[in-house]
Amino acid sequence: MTPLGLLDGIRVLDLGTEVSGPFCAKLLADYGADVIKVELPGVGDPARRMGPFADDDPHPEKSIPFLYINTNKRGVTLDTRNPTGRGLLEALLQTADVLVENVPPAHAEDLGLDYAGLTRNNPGLVVTSITAFGQSGPYRDYSATDLVNCAFSGLMYHTGDSDREPLRNSLNQSLYVAGINAAVATSAALLHRMATGRGQHVDVSAVECLAAHLVQPVPYYTYMGAIKGRRPVRGSGFEELMPARDGYVIPSVQGSQPWSAIAGLIGLEELHDQRFATGSGRIEHGEELKQLLIQGLAEWDRKPLFEASGESRLVFGMAQDAGDLFNCPQLRERDFFVEVDHPVAGRAEYPGMGPRLSGGVYEIRRPAPLLGQHNTEVYRDELGYSSQDLVVLTASGVI
Amino acid sequence: MTDLPLSGIRVVDLSRVFAMPYAGAYLADLGAEVIKVDCCQAQFVDTTRTLNGPYPDNDPGELYWERAGTFQTLNRGKRSVTLDLRSEDAIGILKQLVSVSDIVLENFTPRVMQRFGLDYANLRAVKPDLIMVSNTGYGHSGPWSNFGAMATALEPTHGTGAFMGYLDPGPDGRLHDGGIPNKMGNSYTDFLASWTAQLAVIASLIHRSRTGKGMWVDLAMYQVGSSFIGEGILDFAFNGRRTRRMGNRDHTMSPHGCYPCLGQDEWVTIAVRDDRDWEAFCQALGQPSLAGDSRFAHPTARHGHQDELDEIISRWTSTQSQYQVMEALQSAGIPAGPVLNAKALLADPQYRARGFFQPADHADETGLGRKEYVGRGWSLSESPINPIRPAPMLGEANDYVLSRMLGLNDEEIQRLKDAGTVGDTLADAQTPSIVPLERQVELGWISGYDEL
Repeated sequence: MTPLGLLDGIRVLDLGTEVSGPFCAKLLADYGADVIKVELPGVGDPARRMGPFADDDPHPEKSIPFLYINTNKRGVTLDTRNPTGRGLLEALLQTADVLVENVPPAHAEDLGLDYAGLTRNNPGLVVTSITAFGQSGPYRDYSATDLVNCAFSGLMYHTGDSDREPLRNSLNQSLYVAGINAAVATSAALLHRMATGRGQHVDVSAVECLAAHLVQPVPYYTYMGAIKGRRPVRGSGFEELMPARDGYVIPSVQGSQPWSAIAGLIGLEELHDQRFATGSGRIEHGEELKQLLIQGLAEWDRKPLFEASGESRLVFGMAQDAGDLFNCPQLRERDFFVEVDHPVAGRAEYPGMGPRLSGGVYEIRRPAPLLGQHNTEVYRDELGYSSQDLVVLTASGVI
Repeated sequence: MTDLPLSGIRVVDLSRVFAMPYAGAYLADLGAEVIKVDCCQAQFVDTTRTLNGPYPDNDPGELYWERAGTFQTLNRGKRSVTLDLRSEDAIGILKQLVSVSDIVLENFTPRVMQRFGLDYANLRAVKPDLIMVSNTGYGHSGPWSNFGAMATALEPTHGTGAFMGYLDPGPDGRLHDGGIPNKMGNSYTDFLASWTAQLAVIASLIHRSRTGKGMWVDLAMYQVGSSFIGEGILDFAFNGRRTRRMGNRDHTMSPHGCYPCLGQDEWVTIAVRDDRDWEAFCQALGQPSLAGDSRFAHPTARHGHQDELDEIISRWTSTQSQYQVMEALQSAGIPAGPVLNAKALLADPQYRARGFFQPADHADETGLGRKEYVGRGWSLSESPINPIRPAPMLGEANDYVLSRMLGLNDEEIQRLKDAGTVGDTLADAQTPSIVPLERQVELGWISGYDEL
């Protein structure tokens, strides 16, 4: 099989830091783009200091988030604030189709990364800017982290239990969602450029990307003035995480099967009571049903119940942890994991790409780059700087 | 209309419910002509037309399948043709439609598409450079491939619950990582699948324009979801760590949490990143002496005393509105933001200034009038997206598709209508049952409501 090269020959400069920009660039790299990650000399992407670390060793080449979201990229260092560095950036821009950055708007100009400055000599460039609030509006320059994004987007209000505080996921989901939305908009801009020859500025707001998930809570308000909250702690227990013998499962009444199939699967005689056979009956007798459900589920382990539900055309779920996923036969059968050998962090099987495409097989062509690993390859071999130039540029802290 | 990235691209949208319909809506936003393959048999119609609501003033009305707010959001800007895929005529028409289109979106289980003869191999025979997304719960291969799925049950299955959960009190009286998984909710996985499909489609269009080749995208929502928590899975690969449920805390920043404010169910989030933030935070709190408190003097000390910090901060936030806290902290450069609900989002000056919510004017028959919808998280400077257009009425494009596009004559079209294969009303329909809003509050489905 050929490698997945849908974006072969498209060059992306990844000036992003932490998660959102680099994840956008990683997705483009996964589709075959030639991505060069540009980091500040000596310091590197702050993601290098984000834990957890391989072997729990806080080493700048062993950050797990960094290792995950920078595969398939080459890496150079460059101080774009320095006039000489700016010259190098211009040389890189001449070769590039896309630049991705996630600097706060007020700092972008200081770093020479504002749209007007970047495109002065490169009118065909697509510049993708990812921030929390976007490039305009009264909060444009406000600071945010993933937590604040989740809150401000409205997603968090609806997440967690209704009798407790709103809750977020600890894996930077707002930044991943912003990253993939940025990749969508960037590839749309590339398609537009193929037709028109023109580049453009892609303005991505992480909070808006998440707010676009609210296809139920927003019309609840605009259509009938109702405010959707967090999940009720009351009710029948269906569509909720419920305890089974070895963990948690999600029993579901969704799908097209009759109640008798659900009651039959769980296997508790009392569940066949006709009072539970209709949606309104399950609402009416919710508390009683929940107690029976708990009783029935206590006889089941997660995975046998999940698989039996699938075989019966029901759609139950189960709470899996990272180890369950790593060892999951379904993901293994679909070749989700790819072995990667990193010179410092060592060998491990990495999660691969979400979708499978007929056009080629997904590869991790290279591990995340070491800081400045490809300086010589890019600056000397591709841009034509001499070895002596590199010595001077390094000594002066430009690269 | 001429200058959008997907102008001139035609999409056949066979998909149902949330994930793929929403992908189709975004492709329509980007300029594609998206034809939703609807049907006029109540039993097979996209359930967002009939079951999800919400309806204006909680009243489905006679034309309820044209009046559901979630359906409108997910299907904006599309055309609608009705086909009863159980009929061979309909399958033939659909294949003709595919032959003059560029993209197919579908989310049937693998066996259904095969039964209809509409799998990629069959459709490629009529359109060799077709780009097709087949969205399923678990993918078209592997031991779980024929399992159905819904995002709500799928989400913990792909592992989000390993990384979210409330803290639990330990025997030492302090809060520790929690043992009980929680959920993002809001059909989270549907949206991950939707963004993933959009990217795959547009990358495939770039590929097609350079190579002339089509593409089949086997999109397993389970696998997509796992890729979004990849850093958690990789932590297991390196360190054997299975879960990390730390409430709203962070493993380096502190304080870092969600704190109660004045008002019912009002909360604010605060993230103190470093010592500079911490000093500014103590000033903003009006307790500059805290900065000198040895329990909180440096990041590791603060991290070890989060229970104490959270108590101090909650006392302060409880006396203020969520926006007061945000303004006080943001003006000191500290990340802070209110936990907004839909009502607050719709009123917030940032969303308003950026035009995130967009109005659409609906056909008179629907009685919807003008309604606002969520927009996109991105904009393109040179290809400004057109205002949101309403979702299509059932079968509104039947004549356009059958006659103008595919060249069927009046007699053939009439025959299809007589056979019930195409139509513009829902046959055998049962008005959805409605739970009054007061009762929804009692049940905990909504936290309250306003008279609009």
